[in-house]
Amino acid sequence: MKTLYVQGNTWLHRLSPGLKLGGLAVFSLLLFATRSPVVLAAAVFLAGAIHASMRFGVVRTWQQLRVILLSISILTVFTLLLNGPADALAVFLRLVALAVLAATITATTSTAEFIDTITAGARPLERIGLVKAADLGLAIGLVVRFVPEVLARYEAIRDAHRARGLKQRPLTLAVPLIIQTLRHADEIAAAIDARGIRGQNNRKLGEGS
Amino acid sequence: MDIRFEQAEARFEGRTVLHPLTLTLTERRIGIIGLNGSGKTTFARMINGLVTPAAGRVTLNGFDTASDGEQVRSAAGFIFQNPQNQIVLPILKEDIALGLTSRKLSREEKQAEVNAVLARFGIEHLADRRVHELSGGELQLAALASVLVTRPEILIMDEPTNQLDLRNRALVEKTVHSLEENVLVISHDLDLIAGFDRVLLFHDGRLLADGEPPVVIDRYRTLCAA
Repeated sequence: MKTLYVQGNTWLHRLSPGLKLGGLAVFSLLLFATRSPVVLAAAVFLAGAIHASMRFGVVRTWQQLRVILLSISILTVFTLLLNGPADALAVFLRLVALAVLAATITATTSTAEFIDTITAGARPLERIGLVKAADLGLAIGLVVRFVPEVLARYEAIRDAHRARGLKQRPLTLAVPLIIQTLRHADEIAAAIDARGIRGQNNRKLGEGS
Repeated sequence: MDIRFEQAEARFEGRTVLHPLTLTLTERRIGIIGLNGSGKTTFARMINGLVTPAAGRVTLNGFDTASDGEQVRSAAGFIFQNPQNQIVLPILKEDIALGLTSRKLSREEKQAEVNAVLARFGIEHLADRRVHELSGGELQLAALASVLVTRPEILIMDEPTNQLDLRNRALVEKTVHSLEENVLVISHDLDLIAGFDRVLLFHDGRLLADGEPPVVIDRYRTLCAA
């Protein structure tokens, strides 16, 4: 069970989780309000500077961002082909700034803080009957918590292919990954039920031996 | 503690995994043994309502496991076969505190409860550790702490010494024997349950033997040798 959270006592660790998540939301809205390459480049610089001030190290930063940077690169190429260089540059800078800041916030906010903050933020929606705040907080917290878990499973399956001398094909990688992830999600759901963490919801027959 | 199975039956994908069973459990230390696939885990999961009966009824202290989930789960804690699957959050103290969510405690009260349960098992030093960094024995203690913080009346443990080395096995055995709570343990570790009050032997989804540990364990050895 790995985690995206990096323990520490930096100024960002100490900042209120609500302020961090709110700030990230505002930052992302502002990024989409402009197409100026200069402003977007400044946003990348700002996000990079905040990330660098945490001193997580190049290796960890690369490990955390490589998958999202790959996705951004693919999206940029498609934008370049479909809309031209100006749009591609805007998409690239906007998403890199967002990814770097989001990664920094995630690395300095524990899963429990995420859950508490989102639950508190969703209370007004609960009052008008739209959501169950605790469930929403738990769900989003679990997404954050599961990201490195799914990546670790992918790496284990890829290593198993290598160890057996099998060619890595998308299908043979994806199928066991999906099955393992769903099975693990089922086990976590059973644990959440068993520990009474959320509202009661009796499950039907699960695994049995 | 009063657990009752009244003609309770469990099915999975059309297959009966636990045949209709009627029995009452009131003892403080209960062991469950049987071969793989004999229905042990299903039986244990029926006690805290993780598995609801396809027919019949299971009650814990008078609460129906199918309809009174909240009362049943607050009375029965469950330790899963793989404690990794039990621990939801990656930092130990946060995971233990998560179990207190439904009790609407203040942050300070939660912290006090977490500290108390960590101290009970002598694992205060693990509070800020990431769960994936813990050893097998530490993980079992962490899982115990995460369940016992809610103060259940009975603790159900599914093969708590499985996959542990001898040192960690001894640590967990010692801890299980020192628990004040009622305990129901599924185990292949016959030494662990030898001193229990009652042992149930399951085979092919049926209760094959039920009684004092020496008698039932002998029956199990005979079954394994056959």
